[in-house]
Amino acid sequence: MKRIMIDREKCDGCLNCNVACMSAHQEGSNFYTVNLQAPESETRNFIKFDAKTGYTPVFCRHCDSPECVMSCMSGALEKDPITGHVKYDEEQCAGCFMCVMNCPYGVLKPDNKTRTKIIRCDFCEDKADGPSCVAACPKEAIMVREVSL
Amino acid sequence: MNSNFSCKTCASADTKLETFISNLDVETSHHRVEGQRVKCGFGLQGLCCRLCSNGPCRITPNGPKGICGATADTIVARNFLRAVAAGSGCYIHVVENTALMLKKTAESKGLLKGKRALAKLAKIFGIDETDEHICAAKIADAVLADLYKPDYVKMELVEKMAYKPRFDRWKELNILPGGAKSEVFAGTVKSSTNLSSDPVDMYLHCLKLGISTGLYGLTLTNLLNDVLLGEPAIRLAPVGLRVINPDYINIMITGHQHSIFAYLQDRLIEADVIAKANALGAKGFKLVGCTCVGQDLQLRGAHYTEIFDGHAGNNFTSEAVLATGAIDAVLSEFNCTLPGIEPICDELKIKQICLDDVAKKANAELKPFIFEEREAQSEEIIDLILDSYKERRGIIPLNLQPDHGNSDTLTGVSEGSLKDFLGGTWKPLIDLIVSGDIKGIAGVVGCSSLTAGGHDMLTVDLVKELIAKDILVLSAGCSSGGLENVGLMSPSAASLAGPKLRAVCESLGIPPVLNFGPCLAIGRLELVATELAEAIGIDIPQLPLVLSAPQWLEEQALADGAFGLALGLPLHLGLPPFVTGSPVAIQVFTKDMLDLTGGQLIIDDNAKSAAETLNGIIEEKRKGLNI
Amino acid sequence: MKIVIIGASAAGISAAKTLKVMDPNTEVVIISKDDTIHSRCMLHKYLGHERDAQGISFVPQDFCEANNITWMKNTRVIGVDPQKKILKTRHHQEITYDKLLITTGAAYFIPPVPGMREAHNAFGFRDLSDAKLIDNASKNSKNAIVVGAGLVGMDAAFALLELGLNVTVIEMADTVLGLQLDPKAAGEYQKIFEGAGAKFLLSEKVDSVELDNHQNATSVHLASGKIVPCDFIIVAAGVRPSYDFLEGSGIAANRGITVGDDMRTNIDDVYAAGDVLGISGIWPNAMNQGKIAATNMLGGSAVYKDRYALKNTASFYGLNTLSLGNVNPADEVNCEIIKREDKNNYQKIVSNDGLILGVIFQGDIGNTGFWQYLIKNKIDVSDIDKPIFDLSYADFYGIDQDSGEYCYTL
Repeated sequence: MKRIMIDREKCDGCLNCNVACMSAHQEGSNFYTVNLQAPESETRNFIKFDAKTGYTPVFCRHCDSPECVMSCMSGALEKDPITGHVKYDEEQCAGCFMCVMNCPYGVLKPDNKTRTKIIRCDFCEDKADGPSCVAACPKEAIMVREVSL
Repeated sequence: MNSNFSCKTCASADTKLETFISNLDVETSHHRVEGQRVKCGFGLQGLCCRLCSNGPCRITPNGPKGICGATADTIVARNFLRAVAAGSGCYIHVVENTALMLKKTAESKGLLKGKRALAKLAKIFGIDETDEHICAAKIADAVLADLYKPDYVKMELVEKMAYKPRFDRWKELNILPGGAKSEVFAGTVKSSTNLSSDPVDMYLHCLKLGISTGLYGLTLTNLLNDVLLGEPAIRLAPVGLRVINPDYINIMITGHQHSIFAYLQDRLIEADVIAKANALGAKGFKLVGCTCVGQDLQLRGAHYTEIFDGHAGNNFTSEAVLATGAIDAVLSEFNCTLPGIEPICDELKIKQICLDDVAKKANAELKPFIFEEREAQSEEIIDLILDSYKERRGIIPLNLQPDHGNSDTLTGVSEGSLKDFLGGTWKPLIDLIVSGDIKGIAGVVGCSSLTAGGHDMLTVDLVKELIAKDILVLSAGCSSGGLENVGLMSPSAASLAGPKLRAVCESLGIPPVLNFGPCLAIGRLELVATELAEAIGIDIPQLPLVLSAPQWLEEQALADGAFGLALGLPLHLGLPPFVTGSPVAIQVFTKDMLDLTGGQLIIDDNAKSAAETLNGIIEEKRKGLNI
Repeated sequence: MKIVIIGASAAGISAAKTLKVMDPNTEVVIISKDDTIHSRCMLHKYLGHERDAQGISFVPQDFCEANNITWMKNTRVIGVDPQKKILKTRHHQEITYDKLLITTGAAYFIPPVPGMREAHNAFGFRDLSDAKLIDNASKNSKNAIVVGAGLVGMDAAFALLELGLNVTVIEMADTVLGLQLDPKAAGEYQKIFEGAGAKFLLSEKVDSVELDNHQNATSVHLASGKIVPCDFIIVAAGVRPSYDFLEGSGIAANRGITVGDDMRTNIDDVYAAGDVLGISGIWPNAMNQGKIAATNMLGGSAVYKDRYALKNTASFYGLNTLSLGNVNPADEVNCEIIKREDKNNYQKIVSNDGLILGVIFQGDIGNTGFWQYLIKNKIDVSDIDKPIFDLSYADFYGIDQDSGEYCYTL
């Protein structure tokens, strides 16, 4: 399956990945027009910063054994057998947030606006060029690679 | 849930303030630090250029130059020059207004409270005139004439103001400034798209801007203010939120231009105005100090005991000052007037009035100070403030903090008052330095910021480390506002000093950290340094003197820093000024500067190691003087 | 090989999925008393009319068909003969098996309060069939009583409020959600529910239920003397693992079926997983146990390691809460508690000597998943020099260069 590989040393905290992710999930927007003030503009990836350790990209791994899928009580989260990516059915989701609780890396979060759904990486499955964050990184700190399941 | 705005506020060296702010239901700058915690690395290094539409360009291994061909060194230098030019412009605006104020006051035969200051300036400028008003007008004219010169005509007062060895060195380096405003102009032009791409030339221009900022924007502003408003006088004063007295109509002032308040501050204590306040149930009016203009009032507070309650805090304390609910109006004329006070003033119905359009807040009423109309303007302002008091008092709840701050901060220290205190000569101080009872002097100056550990965290920690090493600290700027509120400028702080410094302080009844007031007073520190160097017969870089702006905040601070480097002093900053992406910048500031002016930039966000470095430098300088 | 699974909820379905992924040729038969596969965690959405029966399923409608699973719905197992490897159903069928997985979950418990078990209008809230009965009862009702203010009780109360009923919740403890939250966090939910019209009678015990001539409860009498009228009662006073049908089978059980770390019972080829074990009534754990049982039934040697069960999320009326570990440390326990609060959040961390013992995040629960890892793996955070609330996974970041999977670096 394809996974986003991370080279932490290269990250410079420019947050392009955040902006790209918000834009990817805001229909018809681009870097000029993505609304950087609306609570609905949410990034699925996070850059943490600490003076000692520098920048740390925290991105969904679409894990081989996804804890989120294993905790979903509504069937909204499933690991796609072909792509290997975790898929999220927002309609089916019951907003119980057990997935938020179980992700060992704290990647998942409820949505800002309604607090009834989750915000999670969809690997930009609907985009021909793949994950928008990867395309937007000026340091090539994140790259898509084929890994064995 | 309680009604706190957010449980994520930044730390403050002033723990009482930290608690107060964390429990507020209004948002302050302290609340906003968390949301801005991840800083863009390109920005931090100065490697992002937005000067043209081919950008924004960022320097990366795949893109090592901007599209125009600008290298990292060029991009950093342009960004830095632009910032120093803007910062210089700020200070020059202040001295220009101050000189104009003095000129108009003199021409209208108004009261000049600082006679000794007038005589001193006249002597420096070489003006021989017995009539004090004509003399003052000539002084003001001389300053203004210099400010308005084109950049190819050198300013004349530089030679009169600067210490000769420094002046000679600057002449050799060809960094004597032309007209101050034109140099700012030149700085913005040079750093624009596809103009200068010579980083070293740009850094030398920064030094030039530093000199004009330091001598005019800093030193002269103080001296001109002294003529108009009276010289600083040493006294013990209350500081912190406790100074706010709810029995009065309270006005918080923000800015750097004390002269703008000259007329108003006297008018507010006249009987008929007090009567208007009485009619509404208040005892009168009080000015509550905040930011540098508050420090200026505090400095001269001995002359203004009736109208001035005390200095409540520095720039990043201003929101907390308003949150006490006891402020009825804000009068702003310069920075730091945080945009963040706008929603707080709306919420607490505090009237905002702006006296200089450069500091316009979106919801402030603009009443730009016009000297000729000062009487009418003051009446209007007073009435607006009375209305505000009527509208809000009794309705908006109070949240006073009578325990915050202290009542015994030593203030009013200047090159004049300190020398007077020592008996009219610097000899006692020089003797103490020679004997080693005072190992050296550290000017810990400049702004307060919320990064570098939190609000005033690095500043306070650094000062504690320095005084523990018997180094006397002189402070000026918002850093003073922070240091005084945590008690380091009270005589009792002597107990935190090293044994030798402690003994000196206790015998003199002074704290180990002396309060020179506003950041403008960095110019006063330069006067002290000059006079000491002169007395000993050496140049400034040889003094056991170091400079630190640990939590520098704004572009003005960078212009101040350029002045410090031009004076040949070691300059410590907590965080780098967006230059670390350029090897040339690092080379110039940390190494080459030693050969150029004798100055050196030291960057360290750790108080202990920074203090050790500065201590080491002071000991080196002592060795060089054989003491 | 023919594998029979009794029960079609989290553990059973998870096991069935795993079996079919590992070996699609295995014959899998699911026998369930339910006639629909549904998530019991979503029952309140059904009762509150937010979703229909299909909407609370956690698998696609054609799950069994698509995966070639024989599903005997509406069928109760009444006995097991492990020697002959035969099950008996209530319809007198005899089902053979090569391996058996018991995932019959738990059933609601009605306390022996006079009148409560006899009342025709006292219902549990465990299965869809319960929800259907309650839905029916609510049609001509005004006043409802919910006994028990735990998670199930609050779910029920929420649904009934959605239906527009007068709801009174009776609870023996002095807070709602006493097993999941601390009094402060619980109090926030109580406030919101009260705002929606619910009435709470805390520190109250039901002494007896008054019945009319038709054996319908008309009111509830409390130990304090209060009398609360009702048109029906929902009893959310806990559940007991369901394994009555194992009587005489020799399969060991003690307040739940006894299994090893591999989900095997004491009898060869008989496994058990999920709430029927009585060790943790948590959905993710049930799914995990089902997966492990299935793996081992096909010859694998999976071990049930991550047993951590002190974990809960609650989400009502837009207020979300995450609660982990020991959030109500008794006074004598040696620990440090720090809290923060603002108008939207209440946060609490219980720790001791660098080990996190428990956390509550109420309000914004985003990105908090890593706390569970820290707590259950007893990670010592004392060396990390930052305020404890600033911790995140970034402080333990580690990545496998080949697979790109994260790990914890300690």
